Amino acid sequence: MEMQTEKEKIDASSMNRAKILIVDDDPELRMALKLRLRANHYETVSASDGYSAIALAQKERPNLIILDLGLPAGNGFIVLKRLQESDTLSHIPVIVLTARDPQGNELRSLDSGATAFFQKPADNNELLQVIRASLRSASAWGTTLPS
Amino acid sequence: MADFPQQVLLIEDNPGDADLVRLRLTEGKTPVDVSCVNRLSEGIASIENTPPAVVLLDLNLPDSHGSETFRRILEKAPGVPVVILSGQDDEVLAMKAIHQGVQDYLIKGDLTSRNLERSMRYAVERQALLRSLEMSRKQQIEFKNQFLSHVSHELRTPLTCIHQYASLLFDGLSGPISPEQRDHLQVILKSVNQLHAMIRDLLEATRAESGKLRIEPRCLALVDLVRQAIAMVRPMAVENRITLELEADPHIPLVYADPDRVLEVLINLIDNAVKFTPLEGSVNVKLSQQETDPEFIYVTVSDTGRGISAEALPLIFERLYQDPESVDGNRSGLGLGLYIARELVNLHGGRIWAASQPELGTTFTFNLPVYSLAKLLLPVITNEQRLRESIVLVRVDLKPLATPFRGNWKEVCRESLELLRRCVFIDKDLVLPAMATNGPEDTFYVVASTDMEHVDIMIARIVEQIGVLTRVKSTGTVRASARRVEFSATPETTLEQQVAQVAGAVTELVLNDLRTMNGFNPKENYGNAN
Repeated sequence: MEMQTEKEKIDASSMNRAKILIVDDDPELRMALKLRLRANHYETVSASDGYSAIALAQKERPNLIILDLGLPAGNGFIVLKRLQESDTLSHIPVIVLTARDPQGNELRSLDSGATAFFQKPADNNELLQVIRASLRSASAWGTTLPS
Repeated sequence: MADFPQQVLLIEDNPGDADLVRLRLTEGKTPVDVSCVNRLSEGIASIENTPPAVVLLDLNLPDSHGSETFRRILEKAPGVPVVILSGQDDEVLAMKAIHQGVQDYLIKGDLTSRNLERSMRYAVERQALLRSLEMSRKQQIEFKNQFLSHVSHELRTPLTCIHQYASLLFDGLSGPISPEQRDHLQVILKSVNQLHAMIRDLLEATRAESGKLRIEPRCLALVDLVRQAIAMVRPMAVENRITLELEADPHIPLVYADPDRVLEVLINLIDNAVKFTPLEGSVNVKLSQQETDPEFIYVTVSDTGRGISAEALPLIFERLYQDPESVDGNRSGLGLGLYIARELVNLHGGRIWAASQPELGTTFTFNLPVYSLAKLLLPVITNEQRLRESIVLVRVDLKPLATPFRGNWKEVCRESLELLRRCVFIDKDLVLPAMATNGPEDTFYVVASTDMEHVDIMIARIVEQIGVLTRVKSTGTVRASARRVEFSATPETTLEQQVAQVAGAVTELVLNDLRTMNGFNPKENYGNAN
């Protein structure tokens, strides 16, 4: 009984300290997002281009990625493709957050493996909700899928 | 200057006239290559095969006469210059031909090699000019659209920055703020939202102009949407002590419309009405069905504002129109709202207009088509003017495997619905439109006119087709089930009445099904489906 409560506590706290990779080429937006996510008890790492996004994803193994589409060194779609191709990274939920028009880009992002699409400026509460839902179902996948 | 035409197609059935034209052409300075056909159909086939530089056209041919001849050739080969060679000196016909796009009209009796040669050369030149004008017009529109799309993208990035940092401050994430600072930040955030809305309108208007606006109609109770819109505008009305009232007959039938788009139109009209109404005025929203026009539901939004002048009234739905008297520091947007509203209402097959009395107020009215299941069902449930004995109701359920994400699952459902429509026979089976504004997105119904055995094949196809959709595969499951519904015609009723009865029964069935399976609770007026 005692043990179980303790285990639940650990799960709950590790859930909150999920690591999120922010990929955006605008340093100010990266910083704003970082502050917002840290205030919600997430750990963050960030990358400013497509190439380092993949490298960082491999090194840091984030629980979730927030991805801009217009990026130097490989745009967001290329990043999505690389993530999908990788055995170790394809399970990570990716939320696309871009200034681009949803018409055309939303479907293409979702088809390329993104779990959700937001156009900038996005509502912070909605974004946080989707981050929470994505993290929840990503961990559910982890337990149901044979690795 | 273009080269003189080498390839000339002569469409002429009279051998004597054809020889004369050939003679005139060979007398000319520039060598030409003439091919001659007798019939219009042969001429059109020849143009489609190898387009000539110019067509010389007789109007009275074995398979076509008079203006019909040039109308058909212009329709089939719009880019090819056409010169008419006619036996009749008919100025009215000649003008008609020129207006429709023919380059010249020559009288056979007056034909000289010089005027024929000149006419052909000018025809080719003018046609080339027209072509390049049309091309540059298209390029300009395309350029403008690309420019707007680019600009709106570029504007969004700094806007996002302002929004993010202002909300970090507002939420106290950069340290505590005073009540006054909070108020100021609220003004910043409100302005950011206005700017955001303007950028969205700009793109919407561009789409409307290039015919790229889309709607996804379903059957819905308009009153729900009106309530939603009123709730969104109410805070502003309360602030200005404006009474905002809804007047609706509870038995108003459902409409067939896109809920998101109609909500956009409603918010736009109600928001405008409140904005242009002075303190302590009133805004009234009314839903009604008119006896003279029972196929439509009418929505009116009336205010007690200062009205719109008779000169301005016809202009208000135009793009970028701004009321010149309202530019008094009160920010009123880009002047695209009513233009977009009109385009959206038109897409639904409805109309929007305004009436106004200066100093007394303005009333905006638009209408939307009534949803009629009976009309949609008619071809499915009747056969040779008689009611079929039974139909099969197929229910298709998509179920997400994990917590659905916003946007994502909705998109999966929308695509599945598209696929579903391709699995059925048009005119024999009917995919029912979603039944309510806030009804489930992931349950679809098909009314099939086949027997159970064939429905099994249909179900297998549906499951296979939708199951192939990658995103359903990774995020959900699809299931389909069917049941037979028998009905018998009440004697001494018209076919129309019988179809209406069946439509009522099918609606009832579907709504009951939704109630028991999804816990969905439709309101009373959903029963009203005729």
